[in-house]
Amino acid sequence: MSGLEFLLAGTLAAALPLLLAALGEMVVEKAGLLNLGLEGMMAIGAAIAFICVYHTGSHFVGFLGAAAVSTLTALLFAALVIGVQANQVASGLAIGVLGLGLSALFGKSYESLTIQGLPKLGLLGLSEIPLIGPTLLTQDIVVWVSIGMTFGLWWVLNRTKLGLVITAVGENPEAARAIGYPVSLIRLYAVAFGGAMCGIAGAYASTVYTPLWADGMIAGRGWIALALVVFGTWQTGRVAFGALLFGILSLGELTAQAMGIGLPSQVLSSLPYFVTILMLVVISRRKLRSA
Amino acid sequence: MSDTLKRRKFLKGSLAATTALALPMRASAQDVLKMGVVLPSPIADVGWSHTLMEGVNTVKEAYGDKLEVTVLENIAEGPDADRIANGLVAEGNEVLLLGSFGYQNGGIQIAKRNRNVSLIHASGFMVEPNFAPFTAKYWQGTYLMGMAAASLTKSKKIGCVGAFAIPELITSINAFMLGALSVDPEITMSVVWVNSWFDPASEQEAAKALISQDVDILFSNAQDTPSVIAVAEEAGIYAYNLNSSMKSYAPTKYLGVVGTDWGPHFKRLVDGHVAGDFPGANYWLGMEDDVVFTADWNPDIPAEMVAQIKAKEAEIATGDFVVFKGPLTDQSGAERVAEGVAMTDGEIIGMDWHVAGVTTPLPS
Repeated sequence: MSGLEFLLAGTLAAALPLLLAALGEMVVEKAGLLNLGLEGMMAIGAAIAFICVYHTGSHFVGFLGAAAVSTLTALLFAALVIGVQANQVASGLAIGVLGLGLSALFGKSYESLTIQGLPKLGLLGLSEIPLIGPTLLTQDIVVWVSIGMTFGLWWVLNRTKLGLVITAVGENPEAARAIGYPVSLIRLYAVAFGGAMCGIAGAYASTVYTPLWADGMIAGRGWIALALVVFGTWQTGRVAFGALLFGILSLGELTAQAMGIGLPSQVLSSLPYFVTILMLVVISRRKLRSA
Repeated sequence: MSDTLKRRKFLKGSLAATTALALPMRASAQDVLKMGVVLPSPIADVGWSHTLMEGVNTVKEAYGDKLEVTVLENIAEGPDADRIANGLVAEGNEVLLLGSFGYQNGGIQIAKRNRNVSLIHASGFMVEPNFAPFTAKYWQGTYLMGMAAASLTKSKKIGCVGAFAIPELITSINAFMLGALSVDPEITMSVVWVNSWFDPASEQEAAKALISQDVDILFSNAQDTPSVIAVAEEAGIYAYNLNSSMKSYAPTKYLGVVGTDWGPHFKRLVDGHVAGDFPGANYWLGMEDDVVFTADWNPDIPAEMVAQIKAKEAEIATGDFVVFKGPLTDQSGAERVAEGVAMTDGEIIGMDWHVAGVTTPLPS
């Protein structure tokens, strides 16, 4: 396997936790809220999923459990910011810290254990194609489902009334309320959706991608996902592109080192973050020009 | 009642501080000695914190009811750790084990303020009469792993997933390389630095990146979880790690472990504290001290190589063989250590160059 094949095979899986968490947060932000607790919700999803799979052997149960518990955590956030109008930034950070703490608590006796991941599946005979067939087009089921989900989300947000309603609730809540949409309820659903996506993202990290549980294993991916939403300017396609770019850059950095390319690894490690900042500059410049 | 107890301790402490290294005034043997342990990562079945706790348990077994141990795990380096360590002292813990380099500055402050408290500190360099850092000579073991790796590699490419490019990790890598070269001079090594002490997902990707470059022996350098070991087993290549055995995660392809046993060292220090004569010094311990050992060797290693490794291990323990001894050349081919000259401890501690054979340039 060459470096290129490694990149083709690994990028989607590396990008997946970022993609799912970022898409969930994108919907939350489109509905006009900001939940900074991604890291914690991912961590708690990862811990719950690992525990479920460890005991039942079923990844389906793991993903379901993770989605449910992370949704509950997100609903706590909703209760604070929608229910009692608490400060969003403070509430989000608090939920994040709570999630990290709970994940450590639940995962305590599972520290550094491993489980079986999921088998890789070729896509409808396309795995016969040379080079990309056995690599890019051979992924686990969660990757395929997530790609489908990404297109589905794009369709809902851009081609359905529901998408317009969510945007309206986010961009002009007074008007949305005036024409009879239940703003708080829609926001509640959006926050729950964001929580579920974070849970699934965490579940993927701990039960398929690695698959092991270790306290702190999310290692900042929640914050990267948060940045990706801005990077992607709240558009499904761009957020997905950002997640892929991030995945390929982080793997590319490791590949370059493995191949002995003489770039300082610290520079390579910071490359993904550097690109994010660059994107932000480009976006804001474009906005300034069009304004 | 606990108030008076604390006050008495405080008086005793300040008295000890003023008289510095006065006569032994340790509590009599009937008293229960309280020991506090601060660890950087959660205690698991494997890993750094696990290894330290095994050492603590050795002391606990020896002392039985006479020792009360308080363990605080997963404590981030920084102000939090300092506050927690101070709290342990306030609660009457007389011996503190600080399990990470980053606890050093806070620990030194405690040592200076509380001369009646003895501190044992992992991998630092500062020393006080009541503050004793310790580090393992992992490189004695990784040299042997290099010999084993050379006997098993088919691609003649070996690899290492490293946390951070600091001397402690670089020396382990260099010794691994030298050990491999001592058996087969054609072997080369690639190193991937993850630039994180803890990120299992990235560590695994780094391992996969190395495997994609035909590396067929992996050194998991300072990863606390079986991330790299599990990937190697799945890919069907050999791998080894430091501190505690991860054989259960790689039943067929586990090359072995460069283990550390801190029990005797910790007990010696606690004994010293109880006797009022804590031996504050910088401890750099290896096979000659029974701290570093190798275990769980893979049965695939040819018998004659096992014999050679055992012989070399014995020579290292007796000091007849020295790993970092010239001629040693660096990656550019320049001679760094002349023929027959052994590197000093200071030179090894500060090693910031790779020996020839390591193909990845060192990040500067």
